[in-house]
Amino acid sequence: MEESKRGRLKIFFGYAPGVGKTYAMLDDAQEQFQNGVDVIAGYIKTTTSVETLELLGKIPVLPNKVIGDKSNLCNEFDLDAALKRKPMLILIDELAHSNEIGVRNKKRYQDIEELLNSGIDVYTTVNVQNIESLNDIVQIITRAMENETVPDYIFDHADKVKLIDIEPDELLRRLDHDKLENNNDDKNAPEDFFTKENLRLLREVAMRKAADRISHNNQNDGMLSDKTTNTKLLVCISSSPSSAKCIRWTARTAEAFHAPWVAVYVENKENEKLSEKERQYYQANVELAEQLGAEITTLTGQDIATTVAQYAKLSGITNIVIGKSRKRKFFNGIFNEDLEDKLISLLNNTEIHIIPDSSIVKNYHAKRKEFKIKGRTFTWKDIIRTAFIISLTTIISAIMEYVGLSNDNIIMLYILAILIISKMTTGYKYGVAASILSVFIDNYFFVEPKFTFNVIQRDYPITFAVMLLTALITSTMTVRIKSKVDFAESREQRTEVLYEINKKLLVTRGLNNIVDLTNEYIVKIFGRSAIFYTKDPEEGIPGILKLAQEETDASFLLSPEESAVAHWVFINQKRAGADTDTLMQAKAYYMPVVFQGNVLGVLGVSCSNGLRIDQSNRAFMRRIASLVAMALERQRLSDEQRSILVETEKEKMRSNLLRAISHDLRTPLTGILGASSAILENKKTLDEDTKEQLISHIKDDSQWLIRMVENLLSVTRINEDTANVTKIPEAVEEIVAAAIGRIRKRFPEQKINVTVPDELLMVPMDGTLIEQVIINLIENAIKHSGETIINVSLKKKNNYAVIEVSDNGEGIPEQDFPYLFESYVPNGKRTSDSSRGMGIGLAICMSIIKAHQGKMEASNREDKGAVFRFTLPL
Amino acid sequence: MNNNLVILLIEDELAISNFISTILTHNKYNVIKAETGKDALALTASHCPDLILLDLGLPDMDGINVLKSIRIWNSVPIIVVSARGHEREKVEALDLGADDYITKPFGTSELLARIRTAVRHNQKVREDSHRELDKIIIGGLLIDYEKRIVKVEDKEIHLTPIEYKIIVLLSKNVGKVLTHDYLMKEIWGPYINENQTLRVNMANIRRKIEANPAEPKYILTEVGVGYRMVDEV
Repeated sequence: MEESKRGRLKIFFGYAPGVGKTYAMLDDAQEQFQNGVDVIAGYIKTTTSVETLELLGKIPVLPNKVIGDKSNLCNEFDLDAALKRKPMLILIDELAHSNEIGVRNKKRYQDIEELLNSGIDVYTTVNVQNIESLNDIVQIITRAMENETVPDYIFDHADKVKLIDIEPDELLRRLDHDKLENNNDDKNAPEDFFTKENLRLLREVAMRKAADRISHNNQNDGMLSDKTTNTKLLVCISSSPSSAKCIRWTARTAEAFHAPWVAVYVENKENEKLSEKERQYYQANVELAEQLGAEITTLTGQDIATTVAQYAKLSGITNIVIGKSRKRKFFNGIFNEDLEDKLISLLNNTEIHIIPDSSIVKNYHAKRKEFKIKGRTFTWKDIIRTAFIISLTTIISAIMEYVGLSNDNIIMLYILAILIISKMTTGYKYGVAASILSVFIDNYFFVEPKFTFNVIQRDYPITFAVMLLTALITSTMTVRIKSKVDFAESREQRTEVLYEINKKLLVTRGLNNIVDLTNEYIVKIFGRSAIFYTKDPEEGIPGILKLAQEETDASFLLSPEESAVAHWVFINQKRAGADTDTLMQAKAYYMPVVFQGNVLGVLGVSCSNGLRIDQSNRAFMRRIASLVAMALERQRLSDEQRSILVETEKEKMRSNLLRAISHDLRTPLTGILGASSAILENKKTLDEDTKEQLISHIKDDSQWLIRMVENLLSVTRINEDTANVTKIPEAVEEIVAAAIGRIRKRFPEQKINVTVPDELLMVPMDGTLIEQVIINLIENAIKHSGETIINVSLKKKNNYAVIEVSDNGEGIPEQDFPYLFESYVPNGKRTSDSSRGMGIGLAICMSIIKAHQGKMEASNREDKGAVFRFTLPL
Repeated sequence: MNNNLVILLIEDELAISNFISTILTHNKYNVIKAETGKDALALTASHCPDLILLDLGLPDMDGINVLKSIRIWNSVPIIVVSARGHEREKVEALDLGADDYITKPFGTSELLARIRTAVRHNQKVREDSHRELDKIIIGGLLIDYEKRIVKVEDKEIHLTPIEYKIIVLLSKNVGKVLTHDYLMKEIWGPYINENQTLRVNMANIRRKIEANPAEPKYILTEVGVGYRMVDEV
């Protein structure tokens, strides 16, 4: 496939708008165009100056796609038209551009990746502030927010990067000039962006980036791998927007060290109560890290430090990056060690990097609000429980008082009650409520004067505080244990499911079974319809759909729009569809099943009814996909192995055949040669009778040779690769009739009795081959039985068509049975007449029938003669 | 120049072309030989042969293309000579307008019979264009087109309308192989694509007109190609 050749990307890189990137790009393109390269301009920004546009010259321009309504018309690059046009080189300005809604991809760089994947070379332009990992640095310099960014890998993997550089003075002069000339307000940056100081700094950043890339390229592999084994970075991410800074910092450091890095998110019970906003931040952080090339890992644990430390130890992390607010939290500060302190005490060989962050305060507030939200939910069950236990305690206390026990014991009893309540209910509130209630009840009923709240004893606040603390500590512990159990349960459930899938996949054989199993599990786990493509839908093989009970109709998954998404995933090896950046308007989420860089299939999960695929679902699906990938790979290998076996079998058959042929051909050829030379050399001395005899020998021998060759030819019809034949349904009786017709021509006197059933039998077969088999069998019968009647019968038995050829001849000698269907027989084991008899004929019959998945056997009849029988599956 | 029929023999193998021309000359045919497709086209134009024997394997161009070129302007009967086992080639040739095919290796009697059939069929077609035949008799089989009656050994046979259509189509092209595709298109129109129906109908026809359907006398099966109604029993 020509698509396998990836296009080459050349980036024209500048430090600010206006340095002349587009100009340089067009200049270069013009040169290519002059050299006969098929260049088209895919997208040139509309605000380009006239002189620059003039450079375009005769290069054809691809019309832009117009998106949106009348009030808000946007010109967008038309990706599909470009893919259809398939030029050698395409020019697309502004790599960092974000596409309007309604275009397939969210970002222009995704368009460009698609072009590259389909083998088209691309020229594009980008500014330094658009590079993702430099985004925050540039922001600090210019104090202007830049939202349109390009992941670093696009830049790093580009085949060529050309730095377009001019002196900042020159740039400023040029801009002033432009402004005077045509009031150009292109550069959508604020006025103070173009200060000499800013430009100087930006220029430095850009040059550094370009230089980094060069050193990156120049690193030889030995050095690189050495470094890689030494350094592995880990960044802790949270649901706060400040994490982005840590992520960018880590990405830059990792690149400098050429080290792999992991972004870790620790999940615990609290996170499940994330507000919608926090969830968005978290999602954004994960996506950012992913874009910058991190491996994303989600860990579950109550204590962040221990969890991270454990993970770091296991996966050989050398550097850990954490963000830290300057504000100390007083309460936490007393009771809890700081995260970094804990990490240091747990990991003494790991370097800890702390990135200062001022925005954590905001996050703290958000957390405080959480508590209030949590307290809101009361359940009747818990209220009744609390009331019941308090009442019971009061009754027991009354009895105790009656018996004459002191008030101290009663208070102890109430503390016990609070302990039980905190344990049995969820949250702090019941315990707290119960402790307040207890204090009052105790005061009212059991403290003199009774049935009043009058007396406030001195030790009263202490009793109350003890009760309150008991309630709080117990509920905290209960909540913690409960959440741990919940976690363990949900994790175990997922692990269990994965284990189950794996177990089932291990015993599943056959592509279709694997697909069915996967679909079944996805539907079961996610409660949505699933679709599985084993081949690119472009090749005409539709996906296999499994409908979930929760959905009434999932036929939209089979629509051409959806399979186009699957096709995209096949080509680009990336997830796409709903909830992703690519082809978001699709109604399902698609994930490739990749094994060693090959897409073995595509998994789709319906996202209709507004269902979403969040990060944890994605991770889970990825795990399933990797299991499926292994199963598919295993299947592929076993298929391969089987085909090798078939190949060897065929090779054996072929060499046997060749040996047999060389043996069998010699005899008639010798006969022909001898007879013809006898005639030619002794023309005068031979009498007419002898001559005629010799000539008829030649004719007989050549007829034998013809039949032999026909047999051999029929072998070549058996498919080379699969030892199979192309089968089309044929009426068996027609084949039998045709075979008998041909036999009749050769043996007009032979008596043949044919019986066919009334029912028409249609059998998938290669008609010519089966005809050959029948001819061979009848010929064989004629040879061995002479003048007697030959019976040919066709029957239907269960799911098979049975064809029998029987004769009344001498039958098959016992010692011939083992070699009957062998093409090559060890010397001396074959009866004398067989060399001129069938020879390889029966062996060929056997291989033909085998290629039809049929069976062939021979036996002697009880009375007289032999029966050859073969079956063909209907 | 005598009145013998002229046969154009297109064949590049000298041994085969020699033996065929010997046989044909002995049987009172005039033979013109061509070894390449180019020669063949030129000779067809200049000599107006009564029949063409065309070997599909030619050195300069595909025999199928020769066939196509001739068929554009000439309806002379063409018999294609092909190797055995290449049904697709035969079907293609027949669908492109060849009158018959003969499979290598063949006997002399078979070759002469095919030539006779093709010539006769061609003459009949020419005569038929003037007047419509009202019936045809092949051995014990009689098809009366006017009364729409089919009789075997004087016994009337009841055929369904489709079966009757098939048998009439075969009988009007008696001696000639009609491919599966051709039959399907003629009977059921261009939109049907599975030939199961045709097989079932053929099986029924054979059970009605043949003594033993496994040894048919009137309608023969050409495996992988189509059906042929014999012109003499």
